[in-house]
Amino acid sequence: MEESVIIADIRQFIETNILAGGVELTPDTNLQQAGIDSFSTVEIILFLERNFNTPVPDDKLLPENFQTLRSLARLVRELSATN
Amino acid sequence: MPALPRKVILSGSDCFHLVLDKHAHKYGTGSNVMRIVFQSQEKIAAQQLSAQLNASPLVQWLCNIRLHSGGLFGRPYWEYTGGNQPIPFYEHQYGQAGELPATLLQRDLPLRQQHFIECDLVHYPDDTTAIVISWNHILLDGRGIGMLIQHLNELHEGQPARSADVLFPPPEKKANWPAYIRNMYRVKSFIEKSSRAPIASVASGYGKEPSQFHTQLVQFSVEETARIQQQATAAGARFGPNLFYLSCCAQAVRARLDEKNIPGPFWIPIPYDGRLRGSFGPVITNTVAFLFYRLERDQLHQLPTTVAALQQQMTDQMRDKMPQRYSMLLSMMRHIPLNLYYFLVNRRGKGAFASFLYSSTGDSFNKTDRFMGIPVEHVTIYPSPTFPPGLTFSFLKHREALNINIAYSPDIVPQADLQLLIARLRQMLLGSGSE
Repeated sequence: MEESVIIADIRQFIETNILAGGVELTPDTNLQQAGIDSFSTVEIILFLERNFNTPVPDDKLLPENFQTLRSLARLVRELSATN
Repeated sequence: MPALPRKVILSGSDCFHLVLDKHAHKYGTGSNVMRIVFQSQEKIAAQQLSAQLNASPLVQWLCNIRLHSGGLFGRPYWEYTGGNQPIPFYEHQYGQAGELPATLLQRDLPLRQQHFIECDLVHYPDDTTAIVISWNHILLDGRGIGMLIQHLNELHEGQPARSADVLFPPPEKKANWPAYIRNMYRVKSFIEKSSRAPIASVASGYGKEPSQFHTQLVQFSVEETARIQQQATAAGARFGPNLFYLSCCAQAVRARLDEKNIPGPFWIPIPYDGRLRGSFGPVITNTVAFLFYRLERDQLHQLPTTVAALQQQMTDQMRDKMPQRYSMLLSMMRHIPLNLYYFLVNRRGKGAFASFLYSSTGDSFNKTDRFMGIPVEHVTIYPSPTFPPGLTFSFLKHREALNINIAYSPDIVPQADLQLLIARLRQMLLGSGSE
């Protein structure tokens, strides 16, 4: 799956379920600075597992993987390739 | 100035705090009053600060409202009286720098009053000052007070007041009763399973009313806080240090209960902020739901095991949308008369709501360096005394330094026991001989 498609999916989930309206989210926005906290990170992980059918192992739960939409998309692609 | 709403209906979480308020008064611990303390190196003029606070439309609203029950099966609501009572403002001279007078800490903000926020200014002999904002938790949760401080800072900087749309809760969606009722059984079933007896509590075996409550502040340096963060990562905390903090508290309390031969697992409700992220508001109202953690004895021996157990439970509950379901349940319960609501909540646990209480403001105050233009050296939260259980840990990070304020009753946790508990907690957090 293309990185841009994955980014669009994750972005739609975050904008609909986690962030307030009006918070701008680009592929390279720092998610923590946008307001994503630890609880929201769990919600994003559950979405990745559900939507892309890719369990996220403990060793991939690293801050750098959850920094931006782009890093999340890369994580999904990496996990999809190894599954 | 934004138009202030005449009527604000209490949220489900607000009404749960009404139940806690009733419970607190039954046990003589007073209302659920929280305090935030800003310690400043400067001498502060009371008149100027008082005038600045009263210029806030939110403060004005908080000082001129009264509670209505809503009648049989109606929802309780706040009515803004339109009055012009200013914020109650008290000044103290106190000899012990950095500490607060007992008269201040013991002052209540009961529901029969028409103001739910107060300010104290404590002057110390070295010309330093503490600004103390006290508020009743029925109106504002921890995130709410953080936004109230932001709002006051914005006013001080000359920015226009934010609109009532973001300061107050938005209009509610129409209730979907069939969904509410289905959800109620699911949440009830989960909570009954999660809190099944026996549950150990610091108050186990203590049946009477505690005669007094105190607070004890535990402070860490910036270097120690960085080390605690490393310990959290080493213990496997994947979603920030919060569950590591909770694990350390649980193990420290468990060690104390072992010494007292009080067996049984722990049950700990942890607040979950239901606001959308990245937004300002609502300031007024509690939007907090809860995650409920159960820790068995064999999960309390090693920190990585405790952290892993908590993370698994958090993920499972969020997968089941338990915080949202719990919020829905609380919204429904608003329609039940308060006495019946209290009976329903109280009958199951026979008054034991939790093994101990824990909350964390996360990074909300980490970068707070001014309060209405006044430079701030330290920020501390004083949690309200709650019995049972009679022991509350409140974590706060300010300028990268962690502090923990512990509200306790010496009747339940005697001073010597508390010092042992704090020593264990420090060891666990800092990773020195914890296991």
